[in-house]
Amino acid sequence: MRKIVKNLDSVFQPKSVAIVGASTTSNKIGNVLMKNFLDARFKGEVYPVNPKHDEVMGKRCYAKVSDIPKRADLVIIATPAETVPDIVDDCAKKKVGGIIILSGGFEEVGRNDLALKIKATCEKNDIPLVGPNCLGIYDPYTKVDSIFLPRYKLERPKAGGIAFISQSGAVGSAVMDLAAYYGLGISKFISYGNSTVLNESDYLDYLAQDDETDAIILYIEGAKDGRKLLEAMKKTNKVKPIIALKAGKGLGGQAAARSHTGNIAGSYMAYKAAFKQAKVTEAEGISELFDFVKIYNQPIPKGNRVGIITNGGGMGVLTADYIEDSDLALAKFSPETTKELAKIIPSYGNVANPLDLVADAGVEGYTKSIDAMMSDPGIDALVIVVLLQTPPIDERVIHVLATAADSRKKPFVTISVGGAYTEAYRKIMESKGIPSYDSPRAAVKALEKFVTYSKYCREIGKG
Amino acid sequence: MTLIDDFALLEKHGFKLLPYSMAKSEDEAAMMAKRIGYPVAIKIVSKDIMHKSDIGGVKVGIRNEEMLRISYRDVMQRAAGKSIDGMLVQRMARKGVELIIGGKKDAQFGHMVILGLGGIYVEIFRDVSARICPITSADFSEMMAELKSHPLLEGARGKKPINKKALERLALHACRFMMKEDIKELDLNPVVCDEKGCDIVDARFIR
Repeated sequence: MRKIVKNLDSVFQPKSVAIVGASTTSNKIGNVLMKNFLDARFKGEVYPVNPKHDEVMGKRCYAKVSDIPKRADLVIIATPAETVPDIVDDCAKKKVGGIIILSGGFEEVGRNDLALKIKATCEKNDIPLVGPNCLGIYDPYTKVDSIFLPRYKLERPKAGGIAFISQSGAVGSAVMDLAAYYGLGISKFISYGNSTVLNESDYLDYLAQDDETDAIILYIEGAKDGRKLLEAMKKTNKVKPIIALKAGKGLGGQAAARSHTGNIAGSYMAYKAAFKQAKVTEAEGISELFDFVKIYNQPIPKGNRVGIITNGGGMGVLTADYIEDSDLALAKFSPETTKELAKIIPSYGNVANPLDLVADAGVEGYTKSIDAMMSDPGIDALVIVVLLQTPPIDERVIHVLATAADSRKKPFVTISVGGAYTEAYRKIMESKGIPSYDSPRAAVKALEKFVTYSKYCREIGKG
Repeated sequence: MTLIDDFALLEKHGFKLLPYSMAKSEDEAAMMAKRIGYPVAIKIVSKDIMHKSDIGGVKVGIRNEEMLRISYRDVMQRAAGKSIDGMLVQRMARKGVELIIGGKKDAQFGHMVILGLGGIYVEIFRDVSARICPITSADFSEMMAELKSHPLLEGARGKKPINKKALERLALHACRFMMKEDIKELDLNPVVCDEKGCDIVDARFIR
């Protein structure tokens, strides 16, 4: 890893933070930032920097970074673009550890001159720079939070294993808010904006060796260097799964080419090719980012044979339909499993896959059928439909599913389709690390992607 | 660059094209067809005409001189008013699956190679898979498997599977060629494949 990338440690685990543009005025960016650090109980020192103030939120305020008696590990800059190159110079003089520039007004508006100045300074001094024109980072472990959207408007997710790299601040913050809403845990959030110094490949390199990160979501519009991205994805995806969403898929005014290939193969086809070569899972929308990532806490399946359990016939049939249409296969139960399952289902029922426990099935039906299928060597993964509307099903089913997840025998996904009552239960499931889906289609697609990645893991000798 | 220049350069770089010759007159076409051996195909060559078959500028399965002369006149009539470089006389390709191997230099990722269902409907079916160059043998297997037309390669409806190794060699060679010569766009289309091998029937590239 390049030294400047390794130095990102100062950005994610700083002992002290200077906030340039700190403000006393409520809802100003420099004020939200101060609150982020003070309210979230950031453990290190916080130094407000602003020549207009002597004190901000009870803290002594400095005119410039070099006035701070100690060296700041991380400097967050939220002042107008024209002022930034001088501030970055001042930071370099003081040998700060890392910089986040939130301000816009650089390459994206044609001010490459300003961008080049800060790039030169940072690269010369090996100072990692996040941004400019971004939301910066959020790390729930160290409480570093440069997202200038107030916490009451944008909830911060809890600590967990999913890292999220986003070129766009808007998409990034919306995903964060949803992650918090569904109780998904985040390891690191990085909104990197113009990627003037560090780009998506650098962040992948960094996250590949980050202990807190188990899986990575990548939202990308346009890479700085495609070849480098391909290599970084290949390397990182071997260690932990990457789920990527590419925006800007159209040919968008691309001049008509003179060959067939030129007319068909737009830039999105190149991205798609790169994702496939790196075995990166591609999501087709924001909801798929969640659908695909939340299954990765599950044990790696040995194959693609799926057993379905349901307490509603129709949902089982729909699920089986999607499975037949995918790279997954419906498992055949072993004689032992069939014998066990025959004891569970009503006398008028048939043991078949999907296994229909029927609507008057109680929670024990799930316990026993899950046990039987988890022990069947001919089944690699389970899809468990839990329709919460039926009278005998109550919160105990969540305990059963959580126990099955904790046993880490086989991966499974759950499907619960319904309104507010069901959604409330799904939220509880998700917060307990049970991959829960609101439709058979979404669940099967997520399981299919997971099985495909698992196959790759086995090929490279993992899992 | 004319079509013949393209063909010559591709041959220089180790691509084996179906035997061809460029005729400037009907008599010359007849002579060349005899030398190449019937059956042959003829194709109009004109920088004004990008898609030859759209104007009826291609005749295939010509079995003898009489058919050749009739076809020649018919094509010339259809191309009337266009600036014409000549008539390509080419040995008829084997019967098989028509594929395209192509490539392009992408602004972000550099050279990429594509494989797809070829022929004149490439842009209609858009049944293609792509990878960034260079590719491995495993990459190419995936490219074949991704095509909707994949069963055709495996020998649908009682046909034998195509010679996949020959096709793979061609794709890997296309990658090397594009990277070495820094080609902007490349079409080998159609590439006709059967169980024995592949014929490159038509090709074009842009530097």
